[in-house]
Amino acid sequence: MSTTAGFHDEGYGYDVFGLHPPTLDRITHTCAPIYDRYFRVSSEGIEHVPTQGAAILVANHGGVLPVDAAMLCFDVLRRLDPPRIPRALTDHFVPKMPIVSTLFARCGVVSGTRTNAARLLERGELLAIFPEGVSGPAKKFHDRYRIQAWRVGFAELAIRYHAPVVPVAIVGAEESWPLATKLHLRWFDSPYLPIPAWPLPLPTHYRLRYGPAIDLGRDHVAADADDPAIVHDAAARVRDTVEQMLDELRRSRHGVFR
Amino acid sequence: MNVMVTGATVPLGVAIIERLLADPTTGHVLAVGREPREPWPDSRVTYRMANLTRTREVHDLIHGDARAHAIDTVIHAAQHRGANDSGHYIHAQNVESARALVHACTDHPTIRRLVARSFAEVYEQPQATTSLIDEEDALDFDPSAPQWLRDRVEADLTIAAHGGSLQTAVLRCAELIAPDSGSQLWDYLSSRVCLRPAGFDPIINVLSLEDASTAFVLAARSATIGVFNIVGADTLPLSRAIFESNRLDIPVPGLLMAPLYRLRHALAGFEFRYDLNVRRFHFGGVLDGTRARRELGYVPQAHVHWPRPWLRVLFERLSEARST
Repeated sequence: MSTTAGFHDEGYGYDVFGLHPPTLDRITHTCAPIYDRYFRVSSEGIEHVPTQGAAILVANHGGVLPVDAAMLCFDVLRRLDPPRIPRALTDHFVPKMPIVSTLFARCGVVSGTRTNAARLLERGELLAIFPEGVSGPAKKFHDRYRIQAWRVGFAELAIRYHAPVVPVAIVGAEESWPLATKLHLRWFDSPYLPIPAWPLPLPTHYRLRYGPAIDLGRDHVAADADDPAIVHDAAARVRDTVEQMLDELRRSRHGVFR
Repeated sequence: MNVMVTGATVPLGVAIIERLLADPTTGHVLAVGREPREPWPDSRVTYRMANLTRTREVHDLIHGDARAHAIDTVIHAAQHRGANDSGHYIHAQNVESARALVHACTDHPTIRRLVARSFAEVYEQPQATTSLIDEEDALDFDPSAPQWLRDRVEADLTIAAHGGSLQTAVLRCAELIAPDSGSQLWDYLSSRVCLRPAGFDPIINVLSLEDASTAFVLAARSATIGVFNIVGADTLPLSRAIFESNRLDIPVPGLLMAPLYRLRHALAGFEFRYDLNVRRFHFGGVLDGTRARRELGYVPQAHVHWPRPWLRVLFERLSEARST
């Protein structure tokens, strides 16, 4: 699998955000059994993901740790032809964590600031955004697949940079490794220390569905990105689509593990 | 274009003057430094010794020599280099000289433009998780920060916030990797053993003398005002910079870094201070040079010369000589 498509080498094999394709290749190769055999990830609609140009994947988020984000990125790398490296945006505390920060950066994960996202879209990269943010992994088990707080920054970016939004529904993650409780220890500025219900994620069957791209830029001009009402409406439209896809995907499955 | 360059005896000042002289549109260069030096071989350069911490000297320089040479642009590249020095005199060198220059150049009969050197370190990084830092990012106003940093922020704002008729451009430069330039990284990489916080390998961006001098000359020629981030052509992880310098990279727990480098400073007297670098040794924060590219036409091209061991450099040169 070649992961160098669209890579902006700054001269030493790294891009400005720390992405290092050889490291990403090694990690995807090592973790392939987790994707193939443990979670048995299946996906549909990958053809909706643009193979070039700026675009944003917008997905639901759940589970104690961002395993769902990893599986989504893995799926895009594996199934999209030609492969693209999705640049997942993380919360601000992640780059402060030792080892994790470096490892994530080498795999293409980027701190979710406005400047970073803007530069990536200007370069025509594929972003993966989880608008639920921390509220997704922090949700209780009985709230699974109910979308929590839905940030709207992605809609503003999509309008400003004319980037199509691909809604993505991920099913399987929220039963796999739910949260038991939260300890309010702010290590490395994280909002809490998660205590999972069980020590390892259960081998649930991950299902991913990519919906048809929503071209928010077609309905609006770039200046509309400054209008809060337009941005909120656009974000809500994507949220409704993701919710609908989640409901359909959950109804269509025959069991959590099958 | 007639230009006055301060800090003319340090490597950056010399590089700027050489770059100016290579430009046929340059008329006269008034080089200003603190130390005595040989006359420049080029007749277009006049060297003038001046102590910029003295307001009277600055005034006389600007309204005397600069006026006599019809200087229209001032490039202020002088800055105290030692990271371990502090006190009123250092503050005067770093900040008061900039204030005096701005004051003297304002409403001057010939001077229209002031281009000043600033530093990437002025940006606030403690909570910064940004990989890219643009000109609108917050500055570091931590009152407990070392004077080295506070002076740089104050000097930057003294010039950037000037609202008179004088056109000002502040160039916030990525770290210059060159000897005698006050570079903390140069000193860090000059050691045979480089300690690094375990678990962190931030991306850094460094600037070569060639690119820095190009940026100053472009800013001097331009009519645009404001703050510009000046990035270098080398963006790489800290571990790779250590590797490029042929040093031994040893990750150690972060808590041990400060005492070990304090001990090194006490025993060996190096300029490198870990407390000045602790943030960027953990979090990647690279300047975003989009504005300088768009408005000044500045594109970094020249790679830095890493501080390699002299034996290695000798070996490489011998190999080159043999092959040619």
